[in-house]
Amino acid sequence: MLSLQRAVLPAVAGAVIVAAAIVLLVRGGGESTEGANAAPARPYAERSVIPSTIRRVTPADYRAPLRSYRRHVRAALARMLVDVAGLRAAIARDDLSGAKAAWLRAFADYGTIGAAYGAFGELDRAINGLPDGLPGGADSARFTGLHRIERALWRRRSTDAARAPAARLARDVTRLRTRVATLDIDPLEYSLRAHEILEDSLHLELSGRASPWSGAALVALRANVRGTQVVVRTLRRLVLRRDPDRRLPQADRALRRLARALDDLARAHGGLPAWPSLTTRDSERIAALTAGAAEQLAYIPELIDPRPPRPAQRAFG
Amino acid sequence: MMRRRTFLAGGAAAGTGAVLGRVLGEGAPAQGAQAGDAGTTARPVPFEGAHQAGVVDPRPRHAIFAAFDSVAPNRTELADALAALSDRARRLTRGYDALLGAPSEGPTPDSGILGPQVQPSGLTVTIALGATLFDGRYGLADRRPRRLRTMPTFPDDALVPDETHGDLLLQLCADEEQVLLHALRDLMRATRGTLAARWKIQGYLPEAPAKGAGRNLLGFKDGTANPDTSDRDLMRRLVWVARGDEPDWAADGTYQVVRIIRNRVEFWDRVARSEQELMIGRDKATGAPLGRRAENDDPDYAHDPDGERIPTDAHIRLARPRTAATEGSRILRRSYNYSRGLDEAGQLDMGLVFCCFQADVERQFAAVQKRLAGEPLVDYIVPTGGGYFFVPPGARDEQDWVGSGLFA
Repeated sequence: MLSLQRAVLPAVAGAVIVAAAIVLLVRGGGESTEGANAAPARPYAERSVIPSTIRRVTPADYRAPLRSYRRHVRAALARMLVDVAGLRAAIARDDLSGAKAAWLRAFADYGTIGAAYGAFGELDRAINGLPDGLPGGADSARFTGLHRIERALWRRRSTDAARAPAARLARDVTRLRTRVATLDIDPLEYSLRAHEILEDSLHLELSGRASPWSGAALVALRANVRGTQVVVRTLRRLVLRRDPDRRLPQADRALRRLARALDDLARAHGGLPAWPSLTTRDSERIAALTAGAAEQLAYIPELIDPRPPRPAQRAFG
Repeated sequence: MMRRRTFLAGGAAAGTGAVLGRVLGEGAPAQGAQAGDAGTTARPVPFEGAHQAGVVDPRPRHAIFAAFDSVAPNRTELADALAALSDRARRLTRGYDALLGAPSEGPTPDSGILGPQVQPSGLTVTIALGATLFDGRYGLADRRPRRLRTMPTFPDDALVPDETHGDLLLQLCADEEQVLLHALRDLMRATRGTLAARWKIQGYLPEAPAKGAGRNLLGFKDGTANPDTSDRDLMRRLVWVARGDEPDWAADGTYQVVRIIRNRVEFWDRVARSEQELMIGRDKATGAPLGRRAENDDPDYAHDPDGERIPTDAHIRLARPRTAATEGSRILRRSYNYSRGLDEAGQLDMGLVFCCFQADVERQFAAVQKRLAGEPLVDYIVPTGGGYFFVPPGARDEQDWVGSGLFA
């Protein structure tokens, strides 16, 4: 505990100390330096309960965040449409390197919308699906979208093979953009996205599964970090009042730290390098910071659970 | 054990007199029959002490060696991560009522894979540091234990970077596999974002024989000639680092060497027993040095100067020639067998997680290793990973943590 305090005092301004003092008061105990902890270590050992004077979150509270999120998605998809048009133009003039550059931009655009866990259903699958689960895998006619184009450009080095999938991609992105305005987004699922976007990054991108041909896992990760930051921003007002252990600032810090590490890499390499080309030290740092951020973000959904409370249940242990 | 127990329960006895006799002869096999070096260890092994646990205490049946690299941006956060490891290790080795989580409490606080009551099950958590932690990053260069360096590549090595070296090594030992995995998940979670996993390997001990050492995956008894850990003077000479010789903070620590040594078991099984015995120097059945009767008999090299009974390049003879000059290079071995997947040729990837402790790696492990260079056995074993580490002294009390001396 001592060492934790040592970490905190130089690093954090007075406001946090005051907040920590309030936490101590609320808890009536002396062991909660956790709340002001600047270090990523032991994020989960002891927790405070949300004060009972704070009203529970209801689905209605999600209206404003979801509105704001939909706006973000529409803007990102508008950017993506421009980049997909650029991709198709490069393909039309048989410009392989131009096509790859446009693909990376479109891929990054899509990564920022945070379509974790199939949030956009079949259209997400058509735009960003992996060959997993398709009979014939990557050779299946149902394998469409960004990764089909990725395979054409990087593995087959063929703009020809990318032409039809790119046209299809443009149609699917347009359809998704139109649909977003009316799309039903479940508040609970939306709150879970606070950490699930990065769970996907860990599981699909950093494992090398999602972008095996381009090695663009870091492009996806940087976009995913931005997408996560958007989701967190829309939820900030809801979370802040219900965050006795001050998890949100820790999550913010973890995300910023990860974003900075990615920026450093991009600066050192003149653009984000291919994930498999990283040194052990660099890939360890990125993977650890991503996992550390997911660990912190995982507190957010429970703080703002929109479901009515379930009948009192005795906790284990 | 499972099979045998089921078998006994079934009451069948035909043709198994010997097996049955041995089980009964072991005495009270009911609870603790599957023990490592010394019976069941359901009791907690204290985390605190002058020395860390997991060095001179008996080996439990299962172990995980997991290496990490620090991605902490500064020394304060590194210190926090080390403190968190000790904090969690203290709880885990003592046992506790696990919080599995209540409504509105966020992520589950405990993986729950041991249920609501976490039993110690003989768990030890041993924290060791690699030479790379003492590079420029954390201003620890002047605290580096004098003899700590990165493991060199020995002539017969085929080291794979993905399972070699590391800033920090966790050695977890326990009676049960699930206890290890619970501890590993807990410790990794407590340091997520600070300690990046680098490699891990899991090992086990074969069922303890009625007496003597267990067998490695070459089929030979292994660990017979280990120094007596109850001899405190001997441990002081061979294992523990003394004050004055090393930075003050390091006194009562020890050096740990881990080597992942794959055995080419298919190839080995195509070799005649007599050839195997000449390479090892022991009888395959009894474990006795060749020409002697019992496992613990002295090999008596004095009367075999030319290697007529035990060849001069036999493994046990090179490893420990039993001359006055070489007795100081003895090491405390604490190895585990491992088995994992297959290689590209469909051959089994199994062997030994060799582990030893000593006060001076150069004088001890490396000296033994140099004597072994080029031994006939090298055709059948492939060292693929591991590293050199320093095991700091134990946490003195509840407030202390392993490695605190680095930052004092």
